[in-house]
Amino acid sequence: MNALRIMIAGSALWAFMLLTFQVLAARGGGRHDFSRPASRPAAGAWYNFTTAMLPWKKESAWLHLAEFGLGIVLHAGVLLTLACVFIMAAAPATGATLLAPLWPLNALSLAAGIALLIRRVRSELLRAISVPDDYLAVSVTCGLLIVALAFSFFGQNPGPPLAYTSLLLIYLPLGKLRHAVFFFVARANYGCRLGHRGVYPPPRSATE
Amino acid sequence: MPAPDDAQMVFAARRTLAAAARGLAAYHANACVKCGLCGQSCHVFLAEPQPENLPAAKAGEVIRFYRRYHTLLGKLLPALVGARDLTPQALNQLVEAVYGRCTGCGRCGLHCSIGLDVASVIRAGRQILAAVGKVPDGLQRTVNNQLETGNQMAIPRDEFISTAEWLSEDLQLETGRKDAVIPVDQPNRRVLYLVNPREVKFFPLSLSAAAGVFTAAGESWTLSSKIYDVTNYGFFSGDDAAAGELVRRVVEEAQALGVQEIILGECGHGFRAFRWEGPNWTRQAYPLPVRSVLELLDEYFAAGRIRVDPAKNPERVTLHDPCNLVRWGGVSEPQRRVLGRCCANFAEMHPNRHNNYCCGGGGGMLSMSEFGQRRVASGQLKAEQIRRTGAKIVATPCHNCADQLLEINKHYKLGVEIKTVVELVYGALVWP
Repeated sequence: MNALRIMIAGSALWAFMLLTFQVLAARGGGRHDFSRPASRPAAGAWYNFTTAMLPWKKESAWLHLAEFGLGIVLHAGVLLTLACVFIMAAAPATGATLLAPLWPLNALSLAAGIALLIRRVRSELLRAISVPDDYLAVSVTCGLLIVALAFSFFGQNPGPPLAYTSLLLIYLPLGKLRHAVFFFVARANYGCRLGHRGVYPPPRSATE
Repeated sequence: MPAPDDAQMVFAARRTLAAAARGLAAYHANACVKCGLCGQSCHVFLAEPQPENLPAAKAGEVIRFYRRYHTLLGKLLPALVGARDLTPQALNQLVEAVYGRCTGCGRCGLHCSIGLDVASVIRAGRQILAAVGKVPDGLQRTVNNQLETGNQMAIPRDEFISTAEWLSEDLQLETGRKDAVIPVDQPNRRVLYLVNPREVKFFPLSLSAAAGVFTAAGESWTLSSKIYDVTNYGFFSGDDAAAGELVRRVVEEAQALGVQEIILGECGHGFRAFRWEGPNWTRQAYPLPVRSVLELLDEYFAAGRIRVDPAKNPERVTLHDPCNLVRWGGVSEPQRRVLGRCCANFAEMHPNRHNNYCCGGGGGMLSMSEFGQRRVASGQLKAEQIRRTGAKIVATPCHNCADQLLEINKHYKLGVEIKTVVELVYGALVWP
């Protein structure tokens, strides 16, 4: 158990250091903007993380409700499972108590992940723009959900979830899964720029 | 082994890519999950629903290079992450993706499930191609014209001056006012006004309309015979050095003439380039304010400096929002307040403001004839938007958009008139 805890701590440190390095190496958000601001960058970033993300504000959501829903369910299951595994590394009994009853959500999440994988394989458009890493990323997150489901149903052995999560954390900063961090970085950066220019938040009276 | 010239090209491309990788493009290059949901927000994809036209695919052509040289897996296992070597052939293929399939309108970014700025990644691709001399000929010629002659249409200085003179004479005859003139190179005026050279060459009534409104408002203004071009094709081509040089010249001319403010004529990308990007290209804040003429017109109305009679514009008017002015520039309301005052029947098209569809003529498309067919096809959405409003007049505060709208009008048989905002204000003026 201690070896697994050391392993997961090491993997988390690796992921944290690499992702931090990548964000700092990009440095986009830290650049000074010499243009006179029309509004507040922070207001733009706030809007981009709140109102702009509402499903009826994003065509990627309201024109694609099925895909949007599947994505939300998949991410909910994965993030909650990861949270439980981290708690399990620190406090095994508490983590196990939290992870075991998550199985209904994880079963749904797994189904959503598989559906998204099938969509990527079947859609001509998506196949054309996909690379092996796109399939790998969904597959390994589905793998985490399978491990979590096995934990719920077969004996609650903390070894597999901890070991699998360690491997997942090693992959996290290398492949497509790093969008877990760059989602926030990109959205904040974009929102700040639109806020600086007075695009976001849009005028309250505006009817689009 | 690539030939020496090819090796130099690849070296220059990698250097520019590295600069982009240190810039904001890297944030967004790392965020794309290729969900493919961006297609429905792109006017090019909606007109031609092919995989190559998906915004994620277009950005992906740039991201491949980023991954190859700036990510660990891209260096070790390029096939796994779709990383690609920068080669002369790969650069040739990039031309179509970043110049021919994207206007940089940014609509996909606003609707992206992640929130990544696709257009910034595409522009990084244009920067790479500009650095290795692979900008499409028509676009590069326009940049060269601007750098060599001071304006994108290479209009000789004496032709510009004589145009201003005869327009002044016509304006005086039309208004009956001796002070209705187009001042050129007048020092110590309050405003330096920049125009699209298309106004001088093909649409002089637009320039004289602005002069008429300035006269009615009692504005102290001037044009410069050396530097009057509001456009900036270096912005479109991805050549930041050229774009910055064009901005620097305007600021220097404004200082030489001793004006207090630069007012940008109706040009979407010109506004974005000068107002927002320019200070970052020259890496210094402007010593004087830079505003759009729309903001100035709005100010005239608010201060009661001009009066209009909306009955003079009785037909239904709709408004096309230029992407660079609105989605990238933040100027969405002044033109609405102005049109609301001077048009009797104003109708919004939907979607509008920062959600508006690109007309298809952005990103320098109008200067790249090789992509003309796709440009007109991608204007179909705009044509449908216009048709649904039932408008007889389409106002647009951008001469590039106006050119595209003129073509769309003809191609899709809309039967509308295309006007700039200042033309509509001038048409409704009540002279003091």
